[in-house]
Amino acid sequence: MSTDLRRARPVALVLGVLAVILAVTAPGFFSRAQLAPFLAGTAPVLVVACGMAVLMVTREVDVSVGSQFALCSVLLGLLLGEGCPPALGIPAAVAAGALLGAVNGALAAGLRLPGLVVTLGTLAIGREALRWAREGRFVQDLPPSVQWLGLGQSLGQWALALAALAVATAVSLGLQGLMAGRWVHAAGSDPAAAATVGVPVRRVTFGAFTLLGALTGLAAALNVARFTDVDPKTGAGLEMQVIAAALIGGVSIEGGRGGILGVSLGVLLLAALSPALVFLGIPPEWERVLQGAIVLASVAGGTRRAPGRPTP
Amino acid sequence: MTVLEARGVSKAFGQVAALRSADLRLEAGQVHGLLGENGAGKSTLVGILTGLQAPDSGVVAVGGQPVARLTPGSARALGIACIHQQPALVPDLSVAENLALRLDPPRALGRVRRDRWRSRALDLLERAGGGVDPDTEAGALPLPLRQRVEIACALGSGARVLLMDEPTASLARPDQERLLALVRSLRASEVAILYISHRLEEVAALADRVTVLRDGATVATLPAGPGRSGPHDVAGWVRLMIDRDPPAGHAAPATAADRGDGIVDPRPPLALGLRAIGCRAVGIQDVSMDLPAGRITGLAGLVGSGRTGLARILAGLDPADAGTLEMDGRKVHARTPAEAIALGIACLPEDRRRHGVICGMSVAANLALASPGRVFPGGWLRAQAERDLAGHWIRALSIRTPGPAAEVGTLSGGNQQKVALGRWLATSPRVLVLDEPTQGVDVGAKAEIHRIIRDLAGSGMAILLISSDLPELLSLSDHLHVFRAGRCVAGFPGGSPADVVMAAALGVEAAVARPPGEDAP
Amino acid sequence: MRRPGIPAPSRETLLAALLIVEGAVFSVTGHGFASLDNVLGLARLACEGGLLALALAPVVLAGGIDLSLGSLLGLSSVVLGLLWRDAGWPWPWAAAGAVACGALGGLVNAVAVARLRANPLIVTLGTLSLFRGLAEALTRGVDTVTGFPAAFLSLGQGALAGGVPVQAPLLAAALAGSWLLVHRHRCGREWRAIGFSAEGALHAGVPVGRRRLQAHLLAGVAAGVAAVVQVSRVGQAKADAGTGMELLAVTAVVLGGTHLSGGQGSIAGTFLGFAVLAVLRNGLQLSDQPAELAGILTGVVLLGVLVLGARRGGQRG
Repeated sequence: MSTDLRRARPVALVLGVLAVILAVTAPGFFSRAQLAPFLAGTAPVLVVACGMAVLMVTREVDVSVGSQFALCSVLLGLLLGEGCPPALGIPAAVAAGALLGAVNGALAAGLRLPGLVVTLGTLAIGREALRWAREGRFVQDLPPSVQWLGLGQSLGQWALALAALAVATAVSLGLQGLMAGRWVHAAGSDPAAAATVGVPVRRVTFGAFTLLGALTGLAAALNVARFTDVDPKTGAGLEMQVIAAALIGGVSIEGGRGGILGVSLGVLLLAALSPALVFLGIPPEWERVLQGAIVLASVAGGTRRAPGRPTP
Repeated sequence: MTVLEARGVSKAFGQVAALRSADLRLEAGQVHGLLGENGAGKSTLVGILTGLQAPDSGVVAVGGQPVARLTPGSARALGIACIHQQPALVPDLSVAENLALRLDPPRALGRVRRDRWRSRALDLLERAGGGVDPDTEAGALPLPLRQRVEIACALGSGARVLLMDEPTASLARPDQERLLALVRSLRASEVAILYISHRLEEVAALADRVTVLRDGATVATLPAGPGRSGPHDVAGWVRLMIDRDPPAGHAAPATAADRGDGIVDPRPPLALGLRAIGCRAVGIQDVSMDLPAGRITGLAGLVGSGRTGLARILAGLDPADAGTLEMDGRKVHARTPAEAIALGIACLPEDRRRHGVICGMSVAANLALASPGRVFPGGWLRAQAERDLAGHWIRALSIRTPGPAAEVGTLSGGNQQKVALGRWLATSPRVLVLDEPTQGVDVGAKAEIHRIIRDLAGSGMAILLISSDLPELLSLSDHLHVFRAGRCVAGFPGGSPADVVMAAALGVEAAVARPPGEDAP
Repeated sequence: MRRPGIPAPSRETLLAALLIVEGAVFSVTGHGFASLDNVLGLARLACEGGLLALALAPVVLAGGIDLSLGSLLGLSSVVLGLLWRDAGWPWPWAAAGAVACGALGGLVNAVAVARLRANPLIVTLGTLSLFRGLAEALTRGVDTVTGFPAAFLSLGQGALAGGVPVQAPLLAAALAGSWLLVHRHRCGREWRAIGFSAEGALHAGVPVGRRRLQAHLLAGVAAGVAAVVQVSRVGQAKADAGTGMELLAVTAVVLGGTHLSGGQGSIAGTFLGFAVLAVLRNGLQLSDQPAELAGILTGVVLLGVLVLGARRGGQRG
């Protein structure tokens, strides 16, 4: 836990500075009317980022989460439109996501193919298949029972945020407190050594892909609840957003290291950029510049802190 | 009582037979030495006994009962533990967590019990020799302590059989002694120990019985033990291992007088002078020494004493930040590996597979890699030059390879080492630094490398030889420097008594340095 | 169970066979696929992607990756347009400025990877956002530069003798140049060594930092050149130019048999991999199939070749 806190410190610091700047220049940002939609909009990203963090700790990466997200969203939208109750539809979206994740996992862990390349392929297949099937059409007129989970806007927004927080807490506890969590760290830290000591490395990797898929399905459900229709292009660029959040949250691209706390703060930081720019009067086009700069800064910080070469 | 037995075990990888009907019987409370050249099948046998590999035929029996399908998990459950050369620890997890990974049942939903894990780790580490904090990340531990964790794990699993594969290969002397004492105490508590080592003297001092493997078959199982296995028996073992008379590996020191035409130049020209060299990055301070042309200068010291650090300085990997290098009376700099090569300094690194060769590339490409000027004049490849260079060194060093295009990773350890050496000789160096040139190399290749080193010195090259193998160092060196804690603390002429040199390396009186126990005179 | 006498087909052979199959199928299904015009037109359309793939190959061979090339193409395009229109530079100078912008972007990646020793995946993920963001910021996200002079447009739209598009010799030169560099030059050998084992290469005196720097710099320059080619072909400079091109380039390189871990791979493979993708897109279009099918098949081909390769590797032991 202490190392987790230590790794989260830089991103917490930056986030704190941003919050102070906002509190001074634009206190309106922290009003309830602003904060609730902001947190509700961030909730799906946080859920996906938790799954991505677990996967990245196992030394893998999945760039197809954006298309998984869109597929699950459209599927859920269609199910709901057909009159399926949300209590059935949402688990179906989670299951669909888990299935998509399992396909990636089977290819990457089962056949020992590099996950980056495999998911590059499934990204293209999923995205293009959806475009073909939907031809750009939105899924429209979702039943009102889905909107804000039927709780009304303000309560619904808080419910979404809390749901994401619950997921993050659960993943964090699992990573820290279960043997499976130690396996995730072990598999990413040194796969060969982990296998020697009896960690089922390939099953762990497969499981991490599947978990990410399931969480992406859940995130899609949380997102669908915010709107009255489903854009088949939803989730474009989500993979970069969550990978960047994980990286600036202290997850090592080399695997073995990282915690959910840092990742959550990373998600908040990236998400806060866009409204912060608005409040600070900076043109919104600069958001991506800042995102990139933050990722690069995290790299530069990481190399400076990295321990020196062990002296032989 | 026989606790673990292999009967008529055979195993082939593709067309190559690694084991041919090998037999081995381990008794409780005995240390069993397993000897054989590299490639004789020792590692395969260990793999089969630990369940990592399944035999093609033959039987593995535990406590007299044949086991049909041994897996790593079932082997562990049956009380078989293995201490590897390179301990398999997960670097980002703490020592206590590493022990838990192996000792706790592999249940995904099992709870992490930090306090219980910690106190258990503390207890086991204490029994294994102590000195390890269970909260340290395993990746931060030096090799001897990582091995101690591995032993703690074997103790914790209540192992009845302990397989030790070259456990002392990378240990400094005091750690070796501690390990040997631990093996003896395990033997006293009725554990059966299989002890694999290239250090035959160590096996002679420790083993109750010895099995010799050759070409995958059991050649002999002999009684051994203190008093019964003297130096004479060691020579006999070597004969059994290589099926020919032992090479003159431990021959009398070759002085400069033995080489060439017998005319000894009393003051050979200086090839490289080190003047008060220091480097903070590798913890070296104030090192001065002369490397005369045509002489072998030995460098002794414990692992971690800064020997490899000096090699890195000379290789230009960690440039010196104090002192000067002198060549032909001029100050020179080796700030990058390329600069060092241009000066005529070549360094054969210690870690062959990671640094010495590039396993995925061909023999020819590896041989040419440090000589771009010859093979790529003006930047562009001259294929003929590359073929000539590769052909020359394959012949000159008798590298056994299917051809210059073969991947280096497919060659045996000794031949890989020759490729690494050939790469450096191709740069026509004036100074050759050899860091552990024979570590993990079998007896035959070792003798061959010794001969090559002598020949190179005979041809006028200045050689700096770093080795943990003291007999090797004493027999080859014309002069010997001893390192301790990053400083050069003593110098000896070649052929000095081993215990005096070791005492200097340890920083104690000679009498104390003699190993205690039954192998003391 | 492969009999020992028959060696497994190389990736290049596999791709060449795939290319022939594509050609045969599309000659039947595609309207005018087999015409000379189409082949020449293909070179025109595919040039930018080919440039990026060929320039990415050395980076990947040396064990790195560059995900920022598509964004850098977009940024260079915008720089070209703004230099010409707003700064009033003559178009050849503006084009040179775009190439310089590509080189500068490549240098940012190069310095972070080679000097700061940062992980190339993270660095270029960051610059992917950074470059695209700068392009959007410079154009406020909506501004499109058009109305380029005819002389400039003829670079991308004109033809040499016999209807050969200007892009064809450019692509051929890039192919020859990268082949020479990777397979016949010291740089290529050393990129490969670094890809197999950076530490091993360092010990052998290979200037690891400088070689990595050069590979990323070269990729950046290629992105700049590709930007000039694309702007002159489509006649407009927009911030979203080159979106997704980095994935196309990575796919082509991987399809071509280059390992993402570095060391193994060839320029011929990369080019064939790219050609398979380009022909697939073109052939499906001429066969009146939706563009999405091309995207799906790109993914399927990538996974298929990977799976085939994995099974072969498994048999080898």
